[in-house]
Amino acid sequence: MKGPRRLKGPHEITRREAVAASAAAAAAGTLLAGCRRQRRIRIAEVSITRAPAYEQNLYGTMRDILRQHRLDVRGRRVLLKPNLVEFEAGSAINTHPMVVHAAMEAFLSLGAAEVRIAEGPGHRRNTLDLADAAGYFRVVPRFEDRFVDLNVDDVTLLPTRNPFSRLNELYLPNSALGADLLVPIAKMKTHHWVGATLSMKDLFGLVPSGIYGWPKNVLHWAGISECIADLHSHFPRQFALVDGIVGMEGNGPIQGVAKAAGVLVAGRDPVAVDATCCRIMRIDPFRIRYLQLALRDTTADIHEANIRQIGERIAGVATHFQLPPDFSDV
Amino acid sequence: MAIETLLSRQNQDGGWPYTRGSSWTEPTVYAILALLGAGEHDAAERGMRWIGAMVRPDGGWPPRGGVDESAWVTGLVALLPPERLGTGRYEAAIQWLLRTTGQESAFLYRMRELLLGNSEPPEQKFPGWPWVPGTAAWVGPTSIAMLALRRAAVRRASRAIGERLDDGRRFLIVRMCHEGGWNHGAVRPLGYETHPYPEMTGMALAALAGWKSPEVERAITVARQFLADCRSADALNWLRLGLMAHGQLPPDYCAPTVTCRTTPETALGLLVGQKDNPLLGGLHGATV
Repeated sequence: MKGPRRLKGPHEITRREAVAASAAAAAAGTLLAGCRRQRRIRIAEVSITRAPAYEQNLYGTMRDILRQHRLDVRGRRVLLKPNLVEFEAGSAINTHPMVVHAAMEAFLSLGAAEVRIAEGPGHRRNTLDLADAAGYFRVVPRFEDRFVDLNVDDVTLLPTRNPFSRLNELYLPNSALGADLLVPIAKMKTHHWVGATLSMKDLFGLVPSGIYGWPKNVLHWAGISECIADLHSHFPRQFALVDGIVGMEGNGPIQGVAKAAGVLVAGRDPVAVDATCCRIMRIDPFRIRYLQLALRDTTADIHEANIRQIGERIAGVATHFQLPPDFSDV
Repeated sequence: MAIETLLSRQNQDGGWPYTRGSSWTEPTVYAILALLGAGEHDAAERGMRWIGAMVRPDGGWPPRGGVDESAWVTGLVALLPPERLGTGRYEAAIQWLLRTTGQESAFLYRMRELLLGNSEPPEQKFPGWPWVPGTAAWVGPTSIAMLALRRAAVRRASRAIGERLDDGRRFLIVRMCHEGGWNHGAVRPLGYETHPYPEMTGMALAALAGWKSPEVERAITVARQFLADCRSADALNWLRLGLMAHGQLPPDYCAPTVTCRTTPETALGLLVGQKDNPLLGGLHGATV
């Protein structure tokens, strides 16, 4: 196994500093010296912000969130990646367009040179019709000029180093690869195959259906959780936003029931953001396979002690999301 | 107007993009078919040259240039006139379609499932076509492959083509949603019923042209309901094609004004209105 990357930063500590049983870890580390180095953890900041409804003050809330995370996007190209799945107006399937528009306005106000919106739905071929039905044309001015259908974007074939899945290489859209900052804007939903679909699973929308088909079945054959972890490794510059104002519980991500959690969750580390969302949904993040996989060779972590919470406390907003039957024990 | 739109969208290399950018096989095929029907032979010929340059050694076509794998779009290419595509290329495309199935129909996969003691789900009983080889079969690529094989059968029937068409019909029938019509092909994932999509319902009905059964009647009913409510250009095009294939498009039907946002939408919109529509192979309502 490849050694971990060592990243420097003000919040970086070793897991030994953060977790108990350091003596045992040190002994084990000594024994394994030369075979495996100590995994280093970077403390991630994740904000939880109350947002009770899709209403006008969401725009101010979004600006506050970006300020909290001290994002410097001046002169940068930002790509917002909502979750668009199905035509069902008024349902909780898709990321609400007002959240995406608020993020667009907030990034522009911070000096971003370009903010585009992009998605590549996995089931429906007519992406723009789907966006229209989901309200994007109504809410986002000049939506069509800002939008990229990632399913039919120009692509580059990239090798996956140390893949978790059976896919050693993957075609990925140039609009996403060329962005200075990728912003998955996921919906907080349960998922009948992987337990929960949040910012990491949202990256499935980057895989071009124009190459792989509708659905992107190649990802299913190669392992869904494994592919989620692989995709995460391809995009190191992310800022994750999760629309939990109204999420979905039960048989998500399509046929579930709307569930109001009344929050927006955000952070630079999608692994930490998703772990926090799981806790808000009262799901044990250690039981979500792709979160565990994503820890390999990274400084990310999903222990609550290694995530610095900003804004609301998890306990103050947590609400039980009914899980699909196969995940009822997580 | 639609013809001008198509002409203006043609790339320098002769192919067409979905909306903008590089050329892809799917929009290029639809644009060529529509322009040939409209008598715009020069632009169509440039498109044919792009298509000709994309053929792969295995006889299939990739979804776009630079992609090193043949895919479902081979079925679309096989809808082009053989005399323009080249008979050798056309035959190679048909052979590619005949030997391509979903991975769940592959011998090794079935053997593994058998050894694991897994019973074969009904929806995996009949081979359909995948979007890309090595993955499962779905309604979209199966419908397109059937449209191509139906045209091939009219040109020169063969037992192999007849068998794949029979299996394709059965595949579509078992993948039909409980309420009638089709979605991408997942009928009951984890035991939950799913709902049909208008565009897939139209596409599958077009593939089942001339086939009469209670299931098809149910799908026609669903398609007519979609036709009344739907405002997606892509969906309306396929619904009209699907209903025309069964002689069920209401004679007084007047299409609503919708925005065609992509090349396939514009091209299919033209094709739907053309006589002897090549997608249906002149077989509207006929039994093959």
